[in-house]
Amino acid sequence: MKERSTDKTSAGAGFDQLVKGYEFSPVSYELSKSAISKYLEAVAGQGGYPSSDFVPPMCVAARSLGVLSGLISLLAGAIHTSQELEFLKLVPVGTTIECHGRVVQKLQRGRLRLLVIGLSTFNQDKEQVLAGKTTLVLPG
Amino acid sequence: MSSLGKQPKTKLKAGDTLPAVVKHVSQEKINLYAEASGDFNPIHIDEAFARQTPFGGTVAHGMLCLAYVSEMMTAAFGRSWAVGGRLSVRFKAPARPGDTITTEGKVVSTVDEEGVVYANCSLGARNQKGETVVVGEAKVKLG
Repeated sequence: MKERSTDKTSAGAGFDQLVKGYEFSPVSYELSKSAISKYLEAVAGQGGYPSSDFVPPMCVAARSLGVLSGLISLLAGAIHTSQELEFLKLVPVGTTIECHGRVVQKLQRGRLRLLVIGLSTFNQDKEQVLAGKTTLVLPG
Repeated sequence: MSSLGKQPKTKLKAGDTLPAVVKHVSQEKINLYAEASGDFNPIHIDEAFARQTPFGGTVAHGMLCLAYVSEMMTAAFGRSWAVGGRLSVRFKAPARPGDTITTEGKVVSTVDEEGVVYANCSLGARNQKGETVVVGEAKVKLG
């Protein structure tokens, strides 16, 4: 998937910087046919999807979490413990989506470090196509 | 019409179970998912790193297992799942390379909200030992 990020800070953001309300800079992805094929291969096919004109909703969700990739690579070993998702609108193949992420909760108790990230994904017409909330437990 | 545009022929009702999806997890699939999603957390793809963690080896992305659950929901609800479907899940245990994951789901209740009927579903996935990997709930419009 072609990736375009204007974010120069999130990849370097440490846990201390990730205060409640912290907003990751948006990341854009083109959901091309080849990108979707790769996703479908990874999930071992989803009957009928390859001939669909639309992107499987979980493919959109997977890429939306890409907004966190900088954080995840920095904090190696982070564990994804829960996920909320709402699929709001079909995404045609070839759409460029823009993914936004924001820290909605941060918790640190002893060695336990937890982050809840709110996700919002938009299509090229600025219509929201997906909403979500991701909880990560970070290695202490 | 695309598969996402199709609606299942049978109308589901409270008490109905959803058609299970069975998938085999391999390191190859996990690596592919890392590429497709952009999530290269070493806990998924670096065996040496993962061996030092409490998991003792690589584990699949939670979102990979959730994709299997979503496939079950698409098979059951079609377009209604892709537009307006909502889920909330917890990842209870890791799926590891070599595991076989089976999804499960049930329509717990239906509710009429201003003339629109929704199904409230329980959903989840287990490994071949019967251990819960994913558990949660979903809400989706019927018809």
